[in-house]
Amino acid sequence: MPHLEIHNLTVSYEKNQPTLKQFSLNVEQGELVSLLGPSGCGKTTTLRSVAGFIRPDAGQILINGQDYTRLPPNQRDIGLVFQSYALFPHLTVFHNVAFGLRMRRIPKEEVHNRVANALRMVGLEAFADRRPAQLSGGQQQRVALARATVIEPQVLLLDEPLSNLDARLRVDMRQEIRRTQQQLGITTLYVTHDQVEAMSISDRVVVMNQGDIEQIGRPESIFAAPETAFVADFMGFDNHFNAAVASVRDSLLTVNWGDAPIELPWRSKFGSAQAGAMAEIFFRADSASLLAGRDASGLAGQVILHTFHGNEVIYLVETEVGEFSIMQDSDGERFESGATVTVQADTKKWIAIIEESEL
Amino acid sequence: MVSRWMYISLVILYGFLLGPFVIIFMASFGANANLAFPPQGFTLDWFANVFETSQFIDSFWISLQLGLSSTIVSLVMGMPVAYALTRFHFAGSGMVETVFSAPILVPGLVIGFAMLNFFVLLGDMQVMTGLFIGHTAILFPYSVRVISASLRNLDPYVEDAAVSLGANRLRGFLLVALPNMQAGLAAAFVLGFITSFNNVPVSLFLSGPGVTTLPVSMLSYLEYYFDPTIAALSTLLVIFTVVLVQTAERVLGLSQFV
Repeated sequence: MPHLEIHNLTVSYEKNQPTLKQFSLNVEQGELVSLLGPSGCGKTTTLRSVAGFIRPDAGQILINGQDYTRLPPNQRDIGLVFQSYALFPHLTVFHNVAFGLRMRRIPKEEVHNRVANALRMVGLEAFADRRPAQLSGGQQQRVALARATVIEPQVLLLDEPLSNLDARLRVDMRQEIRRTQQQLGITTLYVTHDQVEAMSISDRVVVMNQGDIEQIGRPESIFAAPETAFVADFMGFDNHFNAAVASVRDSLLTVNWGDAPIELPWRSKFGSAQAGAMAEIFFRADSASLLAGRDASGLAGQVILHTFHGNEVIYLVETEVGEFSIMQDSDGERFESGATVTVQADTKKWIAIIEESEL
Repeated sequence: MVSRWMYISLVILYGFLLGPFVIIFMASFGANANLAFPPQGFTLDWFANVFETSQFIDSFWISLQLGLSSTIVSLVMGMPVAYALTRFHFAGSGMVETVFSAPILVPGLVIGFAMLNFFVLLGDMQVMTGLFIGHTAILFPYSVRVISASLRNLDPYVEDAAVSLGANRLRGFLLVALPNMQAGLAAAFVLGFITSFNNVPVSLFLSGPGVTTLPVSMLSYLEYYFDPTIAALSTLLVIFTVVLVQTAERVLGLSQFV
């Protein structure tokens, strides 16, 4: 039995956030699942529904098999970490972390021990007597994490916990959150709009768009094999173009790439590939290479811009099917603007997506 | 050159602001029987006269009681309104905010006159009750504004955090929001008290025989006597107000809310 079950959750309106449409998700004991999507996709609405701050119009939330749907938020046994940390400004770090234990009427001595342990776990035992305003952003984030986990909640919810930190600190804190989560074996929902963050921290990622789930999967599979154009775009496929499917063989389909037909893996959320259908082809800047001059092995084009990035050069190449940005090692052959080049496809990393409307 | 002109205009500005106080202050020690400047001689008789005039002593106590009670009640009433206005966005919340600030915008004389008519219509009402209602009404919008300012400084999610940790809504408010509003509440208290204590127009209409606030009794005293007693009393009131505001500023940092 999954530890956290969300069945057909529907939220029609809450604080200008869009609807959440029949959202279903199961999270296993100790698993960390990210809800990933642009702002307004419903990820925070989902989180706040699980926390009990939003009453859904329909659907069910179960934790450990117990129905939580109508339970008030203060009886839910859920740890919540906010984007703004929401530490209590008038209380010391110690009393911030102790707050949840106090509410549970846990004896003083045990409160002391558990708070001390929680602070040790996040490396803040020396800061117990400070006020939140005297801490750095990263330290405040750690206090928030300690405060949410010290109550040993059934489920831990994190709402964009790293978006107020600078880039370097974000990577450190990401690892720290993951380590803490795995140490405690706590079932976790993690909301973020950053795909790198989602991939690096999660067991599974749920990509959301306009209140709907676009795709659920392990980070590797979402990264390599998006099922919809939205996911492909969101996961950083830099280039895309439309092409007619020439033929289909099992999990591969063939489209034309210049004079050479290329075979690509295809994905579709809704149906299957057929010859004659339109496919949207996606590839990243690093999965194509450039040859000087016109060649039968690829698609000819013209360099219109090149930018130097240290180890790589990124070329913007104009072809008959569209403009593509293509990354090449900077110590390889260099091309000037205006040069004629041939774009060769590294088709193992390309993906063809068949959308519903084109079936 | 610019800084010199700025310096000169600053001196002129402060001259206009503080000049009258200096004159009153000096006049209150003058030996003339009429309020005059420059004063001649030196005496503390006028200060003694302030404390011997029962009209002033009685109305001082009335102003004090009135200021304290109407300020406290306007705070208690203002808190839920400020909370609702800052924490929830509901249809017409902007409208509500405008309506609540109306007593700041409408001239005090109009409010006082309107209330007098209203209370007469209501029939027999104690003068003190009328004064209390009138003052509470003019203080209420100040309370809402100052408390709202202190609530806006507080992350709205701290109460959600308290609730997620097991506190119910009321405890979340009492244990987390309220302690962080202390400075704002104290600021609203000081501001409200001073506003009530100094109010003339509303008190003028609502005062009755034997029940008068200090500023109104000063005004009526002036109609009959023009001696430096009023100057002495004014000096005392300025000192009283300055001490009150300075203490609040030192202890609470009043200026961040006003």
